[in-house]
Amino acid sequence: MTDGHLFNNISIGGRGGTNPGQLKIFSGGILWKKQGGGKAIEVDKADIVGVTWMKVPRTNQLGVRIKDGLYYKFTGFRDQDVSSLSTYFQNTCGITPEEKQLSVSGRNWGEVDLNGNMLTFLAGSKQAFEVSLADVSQTQLQGKNDVILEFHVDDTTGANEKDSLMEISFHIPNSNTQFVGDESRP
Amino acid sequence: GDNRAAVRALTDMIAYKSVNDLPPPKDLMIQIDQKNEAVLLPIYGSMVPFHVATIRTVSSQQDTNRNCYIRIIFNVPGTPFSPHDANSLKFQGSIYLKEVSFRSKDPRHISEVVQQIKTLRRQVVARESERAERAT
Repeated sequence: MTDGHLFNNISIGGRGGTNPGQLKIFSGGILWKKQGGGKAIEVDKADIVGVTWMKVPRTNQLGVRIKDGLYYKFTGFRDQDVSSLSTYFQNTCGITPEEKQLSVSGRNWGEVDLNGNMLTFLAGSKQAFEVSLADVSQTQLQGKNDVILEFHVDDTTGANEKDSLMEISFHIPNSNTQFVGDESRP
Repeated sequence: GDNRAAVRALTDMIAYKSVNDLPPPKDLMIQIDQKNEAVLLPIYGSMVPFHVATIRTVSSQQDTNRNCYIRIIFNVPGTPFSPHDANSLKFQGSIYLKEVSFRSKDPRHISEVVQQIKTLRRQVVARESERAERAT
Protein backbone atom coordinates (compact mmCIF):
# COMPACT_ATOMS: atom_id res chain seq x y z
CA MET A 1 0.00 0.00 0.00
CA THR A 2 1.29 3.45 -0.86
CA ASP A 3 1.19 5.98 1.88
CA GLY A 4 -1.55 7.90 0.16
CA HIS A 5 -1.98 11.40 -1.18
CA LEU A 6 -0.68 14.67 0.17
CA PHE A 7 -2.26 18.02 -0.68
CA ASN A 8 -0.99 21.42 0.26
CA ASN A 9 -3.30 24.38 0.36
CA ILE A 10 -6.44 22.64 1.48
CA SER A 11 -8.61 24.78 3.66
CA ILE A 12 -11.16 23.60 6.13
CA GLY A 13 -14.40 25.52 6.31
CA GLY A 14 -16.58 26.00 9.31
CA ARG A 15 -18.16 28.41 11.71
CA GLY A 16 -15.29 30.89 11.84
CA GLY A 17 -14.55 30.97 8.14
CA THR A 18 -11.74 29.02 6.53
CA ASN A 19 -8.28 27.92 7.61
CA PRO A 20 -5.56 26.84 5.18
CA GLY A 21 -3.53 23.72 5.79
CA GLN A 22 -2.19 20.45 4.55
CA LEU A 23 -4.26 17.35 4.01
CA LYS A 24 -3.04 13.79 3.93
CA ILE A 25 -5.28 11.01 2.77
CA PHE A 26 -3.73 7.61 3.47
CA SER A 27 -4.66 4.04 4.22
CA GLY A 28 -5.32 4.83 7.88
CA GLY A 29 -7.69 7.70 7.20
CA ILE A 30 -7.45 11.47 6.87
CA LEU A 31 -5.13 13.92 8.57
CA TRP A 32 -5.38 17.68 8.21
CA LYS A 33 -2.88 20.07 9.78
CA LYS A 34 -3.31 23.78 10.01
CA GLN A 35 -0.68 25.83 8.23
CA GLY A 36 1.92 26.98 10.71
CA GLY A 37 0.90 24.36 13.23
CA GLY A 38 -1.76 24.35 15.85
CA LYS A 39 -4.99 22.72 14.99
CA ALA A 40 -5.05 19.23 13.50
CA ILE A 41 -7.92 16.99 12.52
CA GLU A 42 -7.56 13.26 12.40
CA VAL A 43 -10.19 10.95 11.02
CA ASP A 44 -9.81 7.21 11.33
CA LYS A 45 -10.73 5.30 8.21
CA ALA A 46 -13.20 3.19 10.19
CA ASP A 47 -15.08 6.30 11.31
CA ILE A 48 -15.82 7.60 7.83
CA VAL A 49 -19.43 6.98 6.93
CA GLY A 50 -19.74 9.07 3.80
CA VAL A 51 -17.79 11.16 1.33
CA THR A 52 -19.11 13.86 -1.00
CA TRP A 53 -17.72 16.04 -3.76
CA MET A 54 -19.01 19.43 -4.70
CA LYS A 55 -17.86 21.87 -7.36
CA VAL A 56 -17.45 25.27 -5.72
CA PRO A 57 -16.21 28.48 -7.39
CA ARG A 58 -12.88 27.69 -9.04
CA THR A 59 -12.17 24.56 -7.05
CA ASN A 60 -13.64 21.41 -5.52
CA GLN A 61 -14.83 20.62 -2.03
CA LEU A 62 -14.54 17.29 -0.28
CA GLY A 63 -17.08 16.52 2.44
CA VAL A 64 -16.31 13.83 4.97
CA ARG A 65 -19.03 12.64 7.29
CA ILE A 66 -17.98 10.66 10.33
CA LYS A 67 -19.74 8.32 12.75
CA ASP A 68 -20.63 10.79 15.49
CA GLY A 69 -22.47 13.06 13.04
CA LEU A 70 -19.63 15.52 12.50
CA TYR A 71 -18.98 16.69 8.99
CA TYR A 72 -15.72 18.12 7.70
CA LYS A 73 -15.42 20.19 4.56
CA PHE A 74 -12.08 20.49 2.79
CA THR A 75 -11.71 22.89 -0.12
CA GLY A 76 -8.98 23.26 -2.72
CA PHE A 77 -8.93 20.16 -4.93
CA ARG A 78 -8.25 20.22 -8.65
CA ASP A 79 -10.54 18.36 -11.02
CA GLN A 80 -7.97 15.60 -11.51
CA ASP A 81 -7.71 15.13 -7.72
CA VAL A 82 -11.43 14.42 -7.63
CA SER A 83 -11.19 11.40 -9.88
CA SER A 84 -7.99 10.00 -8.37
CA LEU A 85 -9.30 10.43 -4.82
CA SER A 86 -12.67 8.93 -5.70
CA THR A 87 -10.88 5.80 -6.86
CA TYR A 88 -8.77 5.87 -3.72
CA PHE A 89 -11.79 6.10 -1.41
CA GLN A 90 -13.44 3.25 -3.24
CA ASN A 91 -10.41 1.01 -3.03
CA THR A 92 -9.30 1.89 0.49
CA CYS A 93 -12.53 2.47 2.36
CA GLY A 94 -15.07 0.85 0.11
CA ILE A 95 -16.93 4.16 -0.06
CA THR A 96 -18.19 5.63 -3.29
CA PRO A 97 -18.21 9.42 -3.08
CA GLU A 98 -21.52 11.10 -3.83
CA GLU A 99 -21.72 14.19 -5.93
CA LYS A 100 -23.47 17.27 -4.59
CA GLN A 101 -24.33 20.39 -6.54
CA LEU A 102 -24.09 23.96 -5.38
CA SER A 103 -26.95 26.34 -5.98
CA VAL A 104 -25.89 29.77 -7.19
CA SER A 105 -29.29 30.93 -8.41
CA GLY A 106 -29.63 33.36 -5.50
CA ARG A 107 -33.07 32.19 -4.42
CA ASN A 108 -34.24 32.32 -0.83
CA TRP A 109 -36.80 29.53 -1.08
CA GLY A 110 -36.24 25.81 -1.14
CA GLU A 111 -36.03 22.91 1.24
CA VAL A 112 -34.33 22.23 4.54
CA ASP A 113 -32.54 18.95 4.98
CA LEU A 114 -31.33 17.65 8.34
CA ASN A 115 -28.59 15.07 8.41
CA GLY A 116 -26.52 14.39 11.51
CA ASN A 117 -25.48 17.79 12.85
CA MET A 118 -25.85 19.56 9.55
CA LEU A 119 -28.72 21.68 8.37
CA THR A 120 -28.68 22.12 4.61
CA PHE A 121 -30.71 24.68 2.73
CA LEU A 122 -31.43 23.47 -0.78
CA ALA A 123 -32.72 25.55 -3.67
CA GLY A 124 -33.96 23.56 -6.64
CA SER A 125 -32.48 20.37 -5.09
CA LYS A 126 -29.03 21.95 -5.07
CA GLN A 127 -27.22 22.96 -1.92
CA ALA A 128 -27.29 26.69 -1.21
CA PHE A 129 -25.59 26.56 2.20
CA GLU A 130 -24.98 24.41 5.24
CA VAL A 131 -24.75 25.23 8.92
CA SER A 132 -23.87 23.01 11.85
CA LEU A 133 -26.49 22.64 14.54
CA ALA A 134 -23.65 22.03 16.99
CA ASP A 135 -22.94 25.77 16.77
CA VAL A 136 -26.50 26.78 17.49
CA SER A 137 -26.86 28.21 20.98
CA GLN A 138 -30.58 28.69 20.91
CA THR A 139 -33.60 28.02 18.74
CA GLN A 140 -36.77 30.00 19.00
CA LEU A 141 -40.17 29.68 17.50
CA GLN A 142 -41.56 33.03 16.48
CA GLY A 143 -45.24 33.08 15.80
CA LYS A 144 -46.49 29.93 14.18
CA ASN A 145 -44.30 29.84 11.14
CA ASP A 146 -40.84 31.16 11.88
CA VAL A 147 -37.87 29.36 13.38
CA ILE A 148 -34.86 31.33 14.56
CA LEU A 149 -31.42 29.80 15.04
CA GLU A 150 -28.92 31.76 17.11
CA PHE A 151 -25.26 30.90 16.77
CA HIS A 152 -22.59 30.85 19.43
CA VAL A 153 -20.38 33.87 19.48
CA ASP A 154 -16.94 32.40 19.19
CA ASP A 155 -14.03 34.78 19.46
CA THR A 156 -11.42 32.17 20.17
CA THR A 157 -11.13 30.12 16.98
CA GLY A 158 -9.05 32.73 15.20
CA ALA A 159 -11.90 33.50 12.87
CA ASN A 160 -10.58 35.03 9.71
CA GLU A 161 -13.88 36.30 8.46
CA LYS A 162 -14.76 39.93 8.79
CA ASP A 163 -18.49 39.40 9.11
CA SER A 164 -19.77 36.57 11.29
CA LEU A 165 -23.15 34.93 11.09
CA MET A 166 -25.11 35.48 14.30
CA GLU A 167 -28.64 34.53 13.53
CA ILE A 168 -30.66 32.94 10.79
CA SER A 169 -34.37 32.41 10.52
CA PHE A 170 -36.58 30.31 8.32
CA HIS A 171 -40.19 30.85 7.39
CA ILE A 172 -42.17 27.64 7.11
CA PRO A 173 -45.53 28.31 5.47
CA ASN A 174 -48.58 26.32 6.55
CA SER A 175 -48.49 24.67 3.16
CA ASN A 176 -45.24 22.94 4.06
CA THR A 177 -45.74 19.32 4.94
CA GLN A 178 -42.19 18.42 5.88
CA PHE A 179 -42.26 19.94 9.33
CA VAL A 180 -45.57 19.86 11.11
CA GLY A 181 -46.58 20.41 14.72
CA ASP A 182 -43.80 20.14 17.25
CA GLU A 183 -41.33 19.02 14.69
CA SER A 184 -41.33 22.41 13.07
CA ARG A 185 -37.99 23.10 14.73
CA PRO A 186 -35.26 22.30 12.27
CA GLY B 1 -48.14 48.60 -12.48
CA ASP B 2 -49.34 45.06 -12.83
CA ASN B 3 -48.09 43.11 -9.86
CA ARG B 4 -48.38 39.76 -11.60
CA ALA B 5 -45.90 40.62 -14.31
CA ALA B 6 -43.44 41.85 -11.71
CA VAL B 7 -43.88 38.59 -9.84
CA ARG B 8 -43.07 36.56 -12.89
CA ALA B 9 -39.92 38.56 -13.32
CA LEU B 10 -38.81 37.95 -9.74
CA THR B 11 -38.97 34.19 -9.86
CA ASP B 12 -37.17 34.24 -13.18
CA MET B 13 -34.36 36.28 -11.73
CA ILE B 14 -31.24 34.26 -11.33
CA ALA B 15 -28.08 35.59 -9.75
CA TYR B 16 -25.67 33.17 -11.44
CA LYS B 17 -26.08 30.47 -14.04
CA SER B 18 -22.99 28.49 -13.15
CA VAL B 19 -20.72 28.00 -10.16
CA ASN B 20 -17.78 29.56 -11.98
CA ASP B 21 -19.68 32.79 -12.66
CA LEU B 22 -19.27 33.78 -9.03
CA PRO B 23 -16.68 36.48 -8.35
CA PRO B 24 -13.24 35.17 -7.33
CA PRO B 25 -13.15 34.36 -3.62
CA LYS B 26 -11.91 37.37 -1.68
CA ASP B 27 -12.07 37.99 2.02
CA LEU B 28 -14.90 36.35 3.86
CA MET B 29 -17.15 39.33 4.18
CA ILE B 30 -20.44 40.49 2.78
CA GLN B 31 -19.98 41.53 -0.84
CA ILE B 32 -22.19 43.13 -3.46
CA ASP B 33 -21.95 42.04 -7.08
CA GLN B 34 -23.58 44.91 -8.98
CA LYS B 35 -23.29 43.24 -12.36
CA ASN B 36 -25.16 40.12 -11.31
CA GLU B 37 -27.42 41.98 -8.87
CA ALA B 38 -26.34 39.69 -6.10
CA VAL B 39 -25.47 39.96 -2.43
CA LEU B 40 -22.89 37.41 -1.28
CA LEU B 41 -22.98 36.31 2.35
CA PRO B 42 -20.19 34.44 4.16
CA ILE B 43 -21.83 31.35 5.66
CA TYR B 44 -19.57 28.66 7.09
CA GLY B 45 -16.60 29.58 4.99
CA SER B 46 -18.51 29.85 1.71
CA MET B 47 -19.82 32.86 -0.15
CA VAL B 48 -23.54 32.31 -0.61
CA PRO B 49 -25.29 34.45 -3.24
CA PHE B 50 -28.77 35.93 -2.98
CA HIS B 51 -30.42 37.89 -5.74
CA VAL B 52 -31.11 41.41 -4.52
CA ALA B 53 -34.77 41.03 -5.51
CA THR B 54 -35.21 38.44 -2.74
CA ILE B 55 -34.25 41.08 -0.16
CA ARG B 56 -36.98 43.05 1.55
CA THR B 57 -35.06 45.29 3.92
CA VAL B 58 -31.57 45.80 5.24
CA SER B 59 -30.50 47.66 8.35
CA SER B 60 -27.51 48.06 10.61
CA GLN B 61 -26.91 48.97 14.20
CA GLN B 62 -24.02 49.45 16.57
CA ASP B 63 -23.84 48.42 20.21
CA THR B 64 -21.97 50.01 23.09
CA ASN B 65 -19.01 47.66 22.60
CA ARG B 66 -18.46 49.11 19.13
CA ASN B 67 -19.72 45.91 17.57
CA CYS B 68 -21.62 46.46 14.41
CA TYR B 69 -24.56 44.36 13.28
CA ILE B 70 -26.31 44.03 9.97
CA ARG B 71 -29.72 42.46 9.49
CA ILE B 72 -31.08 41.38 6.13
CA ILE B 73 -34.74 40.47 5.85
CA PHE B 74 -35.89 38.51 2.80
CA ASN B 75 -39.22 38.40 1.04
CA VAL B 76 -41.44 35.60 2.30
CA PRO B 77 -45.08 34.83 1.48
CA GLY B 78 -47.73 36.29 3.71
CA THR B 79 -46.09 39.63 4.34
CA PRO B 80 -47.89 42.68 2.93
CA PHE B 81 -46.95 43.52 -0.66
CA SER B 82 -44.61 40.59 -0.85
CA PRO B 83 -43.86 39.95 -4.49
CA HIS B 84 -43.87 36.23 -3.71
CA ASP B 85 -47.50 36.25 -2.71
CA ALA B 86 -49.18 35.69 -6.03
CA ASN B 87 -46.57 33.17 -6.94
CA SER B 88 -46.07 31.24 -3.75
CA LEU B 89 -48.59 28.69 -5.03
CA LYS B 90 -46.00 27.64 -7.54
CA PHE B 91 -43.53 26.91 -4.76
CA GLN B 92 -46.01 25.56 -2.28
CA GLY B 93 -44.27 23.58 0.38
CA SER B 94 -41.08 25.59 0.11
CA ILE B 95 -39.27 26.82 3.17
CA TYR B 96 -38.01 30.39 3.00
CA LEU B 97 -34.89 31.95 4.37
CA LYS B 98 -36.40 34.88 6.19
CA GLU B 99 -33.65 36.71 7.95
CA VAL B 100 -29.92 36.69 8.58
CA SER B 101 -27.82 38.82 10.89
CA PHE B 102 -24.10 39.23 10.98
CA ARG B 103 -21.73 40.87 13.38
CA SER B 104 -18.94 42.81 11.77
CA LYS B 105 -15.57 44.07 12.85
CA ASP B 106 -15.81 46.98 10.41
CA PRO B 107 -18.62 49.54 10.81
CA ARG B 108 -17.54 51.47 7.71
CA HIS B 109 -17.79 48.34 5.56
CA ILE B 110 -21.25 47.61 6.99
CA SER B 111 -22.60 51.08 6.25
CA GLU B 112 -21.25 50.79 2.69
CA VAL B 113 -22.92 47.39 2.31
CA VAL B 114 -26.25 48.73 3.57
CA GLN B 115 -26.10 51.65 1.14
CA GLN B 116 -25.10 49.48 -1.80
CA ILE B 117 -27.85 46.95 -1.16
CA LYS B 118 -30.46 49.70 -0.83
CA THR B 119 -29.35 51.41 -4.03
CA LEU B 120 -29.13 48.19 -6.03
CA ARG B 121 -32.49 47.01 -4.75
CA ARG B 122 -34.10 50.35 -5.67
CA GLN B 123 -32.68 50.14 -9.20
CA VAL B 124 -33.90 46.59 -9.74
CA VAL B 125 -37.36 47.26 -8.30
CA ALA B 126 -37.72 50.39 -10.47
CA ARG B 127 -36.62 48.57 -13.60
CA GLU B 128 -38.95 45.64 -12.95
CA SER B 129 -41.99 47.78 -12.24
CA GLU B 130 -41.26 49.74 -15.40
CA ARG B 131 -41.06 46.50 -17.33
CA ALA B 132 -44.31 45.32 -15.75
CA GLU B 133 -46.01 48.57 -16.71
CA ARG B 134 -44.86 48.30 -20.29
CA ALA B 135 -46.20 44.76 -20.43
CA THR B 136 -49.76 45.84 -19.62
